[in-house]
Amino acid sequence: MDWATQIVNVLQAATVLLLSPLIAGIAYRFKAWTESRTGPSIFQPYYDLAKYLRKETLRPANASAVFLVAPFVAFGAYLLISVVVPVITPYPIPFASTVDFLGGGLLFGLAGTVTLLAALDSGSNYAALGASRTVSFAAFAEPTLIIVFFAVAVITGTNNPYVTNNLLSSSTSAYLAPTHLLVTAAFFLLLLAETGKLPVESAGLMEFGMLEDGRIFEHSGRLLGLNRWNGWLKQFLLYSVFVNVFAIPWGMNAAPTVAGAIENIGVLLVKLLFLVGVIVLVEATVAKVRLFKIRDFLALSFSLAVLAVFAFAVLGVP
Amino acid sequence: MDSSAEVVALVGVGILLTALYLQSESFVDPLIRGIAVQSLLLAVLLGWLAWTTRSVDLAILAGLAVAVRAVLIPYVLRRQISAFRWRMRELHAAHRVTGHALAAVALAVIAWFVFQQTLASIFPQPGAALPFVLLVEGLLMLATRSNTIVQVIGYLEEENAVVYAGALFAQGFPLFVEVVVFLDVLGVVLVAVILSIQRDVTGTPEEAALEELAG
Repeated sequence: MDWATQIVNVLQAATVLLLSPLIAGIAYRFKAWTESRTGPSIFQPYYDLAKYLRKETLRPANASAVFLVAPFVAFGAYLLISVVVPVITPYPIPFASTVDFLGGGLLFGLAGTVTLLAALDSGSNYAALGASRTVSFAAFAEPTLIIVFFAVAVITGTNNPYVTNNLLSSSTSAYLAPTHLLVTAAFFLLLLAETGKLPVESAGLMEFGMLEDGRIFEHSGRLLGLNRWNGWLKQFLLYSVFVNVFAIPWGMNAAPTVAGAIENIGVLLVKLLFLVGVIVLVEATVAKVRLFKIRDFLALSFSLAVLAVFAFAVLGVP
Repeated sequence: MDSSAEVVALVGVGILLTALYLQSESFVDPLIRGIAVQSLLLAVLLGWLAWTTRSVDLAILAGLAVAVRAVLIPYVLRRQISAFRWRMRELHAAHRVTGHALAAVALAVIAWFVFQQTLASIFPQPGAALPFVLLVEGLLMLATRSNTIVQVIGYLEEENAVVYAGALFAQGFPLFVEVVVFLDVLGVVLVAVILSIQRDVTGTPEEAALEELAG
């Protein structure tokens, strides 16, 4: 492995780690504008993170080591994902061969599972309620994710996100194929659900229907900071996969150089700003669905994913 | 796949998506708008085929589809529910969005398998199963709903499936034109007759009279 590749590897991980709070801050700011508020600074998540890291960590009396270790395991999983999916390079970097789409999904699953375990380990009824709800809806979301992977596999004949990016960016007919359009729509709906956006969840309001935030209710100080950072990492990674693999696969510099990777950071930011704008628009125009209607939302996502594979079977092409 | 086939495939999947939407919606007004969109997509398909095959018959059909299926029939149906448009919904079918959406997808897959086993050898072209799937989706709607207007919409969906099949398999065939015109007229007459009978029974087009299509 030459030095340029190693630098690109580190650069990609650093991009995910350092820019994920920024994207969250920009999203908060955009959302505030749609509500006629000035909103917090786009750097507010960094200030929050710094504050959390300075504060004391309290542990519930009955909690075990799982409660303490889980945020670090989740952080490690997200860090690994950050060097295996296409973020700032359209070509595979060394760690990319570790996992395919399915492996990436399993790593997301690992992070989610340990966070759930920590919620249950806290002994708090409220955290357990959040965990229970998350699992109830994940039971509908996970099959969709698997079907999305199937659809991606039938488009390209492989389960490698880099191959998908390459095919979709080079072939207009593959991009406009019904299978791809349907799977992109399904993944977008899943993205809204997984990142706690309306109409599924209004995160951050500490309201009764919250899902993601309910699980980390008992964490405080550094662990809460790490959990928040994990949330931003998950959001950043899912957004990156969505724009680079599904929705906007073009524009990345394919030269395997450090300069090319740096250029791609700018390209990625532009894509993410566009996506954040679209999501904020969705959030500004839809109301939160009732808790038990979330299944309907996920059923729609599942139906679209199944139809994507169905379209391939019926039409005989991706 | 050439660009013409790609357009046909895209519009076909769009029609299938409207079928899925119709299955998962319980309010009548969005259902009427949904069937109008489906008919409009069908008209786009007919128009595209007319353009690529330079067929005047198909162009006339596309115009007819827009005028009758996408505009006239939805207009007549919406007039019937104008007084209670915002609240009229399917009541008797224990309607559940999740269940109906999943049932619609499952039925589409089953219909495709049946098509593969029976008609695929006669109609081997890509997308040939889509009209058959649409027909089965229309049947599902007729079987699971009881509201008068929704039953009519189920019938219109089946009609759309017949026209869709004709557009794919019988291009330029004069009889097909006559059949489609007949179906259009039948659709309008059916809507008018059902609603006038309901009105005769109840005196005025009230909400309760439209809640169930009684035989």
